[in-house]
Amino acid sequence: MADFEKILFKNIDFPDQDKIDIYIKNGGYNALRKALDSMSPESVTEEVIKSGLRGRGGAGFPTGRKWTFLPKDSKRPVYLTVNADESEPGTFKDRELIEKDPHLVIEGTLLAAYAIKCGQAYIYIRGEFAFGARQLNKAIEEARAKGFLGKNILGKGVDIEIIVHRGGGAYICGEETALLTSLEGNQGYPRVKPPFPAISGLYSAPTIINNVETLSNIPYIINKGAEKFSAFGTAKSPGTKIFCLSGHINKPGNYELPMGIPLRELLYEYGGGIKDGRNLKAVIPGGSSVPLLTADKVDVRMDFESLAEAGTMLGSAGVIVIDETVCMVRAAYNLARFYQHESCGQCTPCRQGTYWILAILERIERGRGSLKDLDKLLEICENIEGNTICPLGDAATPSVKSTIHHFRDEYEYHITEQKCKVSMGPRFE
Amino acid sequence: MSAPAVLKILEKNVKEDAGLIAILEDIQANYGYLPKEALEIVAEKTGYPLLDIFGVATFYKSFSLKPRGEHLISVCLGTACHVRSAPVVVEEFERQLGIKVGETTPDNEFSLETAACLGACALGPIVVVDGRYFSNVDTSEVKRIIKKARTGLDKVTVKADQRIFPVEVSCSKCNHSLMDSSHLIDGYPSIKVTMSFSDLHGWLALSSLYGSYNVSSEYEIPGEMIVNIFCPHCHAELLGAADCADCSAPMIPMIVRGGGVVQICSRKGCKGHMLDLNGVNL
Ligand SMILES: Cc1cc2nc3c(=O)[nH]c(=O)nc-3n(C[C@H](O)[C@H](O)[C@H](O)COP(=O)(O)O)c2cc1C
Repeated sequence: MADFEKILFKNIDFPDQDKIDIYIKNGGYNALRKALDSMSPESVTEEVIKSGLRGRGGAGFPTGRKWTFLPKDSKRPVYLTVNADESEPGTFKDRELIEKDPHLVIEGTLLAAYAIKCGQAYIYIRGEFAFGARQLNKAIEEARAKGFLGKNILGKGVDIEIIVHRGGGAYICGEETALLTSLEGNQGYPRVKPPFPAISGLYSAPTIINNVETLSNIPYIINKGAEKFSAFGTAKSPGTKIFCLSGHINKPGNYELPMGIPLRELLYEYGGGIKDGRNLKAVIPGGSSVPLLTADKVDVRMDFESLAEAGTMLGSAGVIVIDETVCMVRAAYNLARFYQHESCGQCTPCRQGTYWILAILERIERGRGSLKDLDKLLEICENIEGNTICPLGDAATPSVKSTIHHFRDEYEYHITEQKCKVSMGPRFE
Repeated sequence: MSAPAVLKILEKNVKEDAGLIAILEDIQANYGYLPKEALEIVAEKTGYPLLDIFGVATFYKSFSLKPRGEHLISVCLGTACHVRSAPVVVEEFERQLGIKVGETTPDNEFSLETAACLGACALGPIVVVDGRYFSNVDTSEVKRIIKKARTGLDKVTVKADQRIFPVEVSCSKCNHSLMDSSHLIDGYPSIKVTMSFSDLHGWLALSSLYGSYNVSSEYEIPGEMIVNIFCPHCHAELLGAADCADCSAPMIPMIVRGGGVVQICSRKGCKGHMLDLNGVNL
C-alpha cells in the first residue's frame, strides 16, 4: 500500500483524546485558529474545493461546491446541519469519530460554519447514540470554555453556536430533507427537490447538510493544505476513507485507508480474511443500499469511480462480507423488510413498491413463489426507481436486483424445489 | 395517569422552547410509553392537533403507544447481524418467551423487538437488553440473557449466582493478555492495566475473580471518581459502546479468553459489570 497519513483516526486511540487539553496538545483547534487569523470564509471554501473532498454520507457530492450553492449575501440566516444519523445497515464510522474524537467533529463543524457564514449549526444525532450525544455536548462545553465556540470566537468577532439534537429512531431521517423536517419537530417526511436545501432548507432558510466524516476532514485540509489532502487516494476520489468491515470477516472494525485501496487488500490484509476459513460469496461494499459484488470482483478498487464502473457504489463504505453459508433469498428478504418498514409512506411508488417486494420475497422464501415472480420483482423495482420524492425508494431496489441478477439459481431453487440451496433457510414454512 | 405530571413536563418544555418531539420524549421517559390521555392533554395545552401528535408518536421508533414490558429485548437484524445468524436468535427468543416480535409477555415482564441496525456491526449479532449490549450472541445464550434480565442485569451477585471463577482477559484493541502473574489478588494473577484520572497516570490491578471487586492501584482513587483505563501494551483506551446501567459511567470492555467480553464500570466503587461469554458454559 502506498504511504498515507491518517487524517480522521490519527489520534483516535490516543488516551483522553476526547478531552480538550489532549486534543489541543495533539494539534487540535490549530486549523480553526489559522482560519480565523488569516483566512476569509471564501478562502476556506476555496481550499475545500481545491482539496476535491467529496461527501462521505453516501452520495459523494463535492463538499466545497455544495457550499457555493448558497445564495450570496442571504437576508435570512444560513444554517449548517451535521448529519450524524448514521443508520445505514453496516455503517458504524461516524459513531466512532463522535465517541472517541468529538472535538475533531466540532472543529470541522466550526470551520464549515465559518466558511458558509453560519451562526447556528445543528448536529442531528441518531437517538440510540446516547453516549455519543453526551460526548458531543461535553466537547461543546469544553470548547466554549476555551473560547472556540459561542460569541466572539478567539476575539475575532465570529459567533457560532452548535446544538446537538437527538433523533427519534427512523432511518429516513438520515435523508437530508427528512432530517430537516424532523429537526423542525415533525414527522420526518422528505421534501421535494428542488428547491434544494442550500436555497430553502431548515425553516425555509438556506441550509447546508454534511456528514460527520466529511466535516472531520476539514481541519486537516485547512492545516496542511488542499494538495497534501489530495495526495492520498485517487484523482477523482481524493483523501482517505473509513471502511466499516462487518459480517463474515475475521477482524471486523473500522479501517481508515486511502481511497482506491483494492477490496482484496481490505478484506485479506486488514480484515484478516473470511471468518472460519470459509469461502467468500459476495460483498456489499457501501452499506445495504448498494448492489452487491460477487466474490470474483474482489480486485475492484474502493473509490467512487471504480465501484461505479463495477456496477455498484461506495455509498457509506459499510463493507458487509457474506460467506457461502448465506442464503441470498433470505438476505434479500431481510433487507426488504427493513426498507418496507422504513419507507415513510409519503409517496406511492416507495410505499407500495417496498410492500410488494416484501410480500413476494416472503412468498418465495416460504417456498410458494412462482418463476414469474422474479420478473415481477424486477418490474416493481423499475417502477420505484426515479419515481420517488427521496432516494429511499432507489435504495430499496439494489439488494433485490443484484441478488436476482447474480444468484438467480438460488431463487429458482427456492421456487421449484421449495427449499433452500444453502444451509441457512428457509425458516418460514 | 396523573395530569400534574404531564403539565409539569409541558411547563418545562415551553420554558425551554422545545418542540413536540422533546415533549413526547419526556412523557415517554416518565411513563415508559405514551398514554393516550397524556397526548390529549398535550394537544389541549399546546394547540398541536391530536392528529399531528399521533403522527409523530407513531413515526419514530423510540415512541410506543402501548405499555412495554419491564424489560425490553431488542435483537439487531441489520445485514451484518443477519448474515451472522441473528434471525435464529430472534426465533429462539420468541420460542423461549412464548411471544412474537412486537409483543409483550402476559406477565408484562418482557417485550421483544427487532432493530434494523444498531451501529455495532463489528460485534454482531447484537442483542440489547434494557440498554445493555450483548455481542456475538448465539442461540445457546438466549436462555442466559433472559435469566440475566430477570434477575436484574446489575444484580448478579456472587452469592446468588455462585459464579466465582477466575477470568483471563486481554486488551479489546490489541488482544495482548492483561494478566499479571507477578501480582496476585485473591490468590489469582491480577488484571493489569494503566489508568488515569485528574492529572495522575499509573497502574491499576483488578482481581481476576469474577464477582470480586478487589483492586490495588498506584494512586488512591477518590470515591466515585471515573477513571480512564488503557492497555499497558498498545496504550489504547479501553472504551466500549455501553454505559453502566447503575451510574451511567462508561463501561470498560475486555476480551475473555475462550470467547466473550467482560465489561466493568469505570467508576470507583460502582459494582456495575456485565459478562458476555460465548461458547463457555456457566
Ligand atoms: C434513506 C437515506 C438515508 C440516509 N442516511 C444518511 C445518514 O445516516 N448519514 C448521512 O450522513 N447521510 C445519509 N444520507 C445521505 C444524505 O441525504 C446526504 O446526502 C448527506 O448527509 C450529505 O452529506 P455529505 O455531502 O457530507 O455526504 C441518507 C440518504 C438517504 C436517501
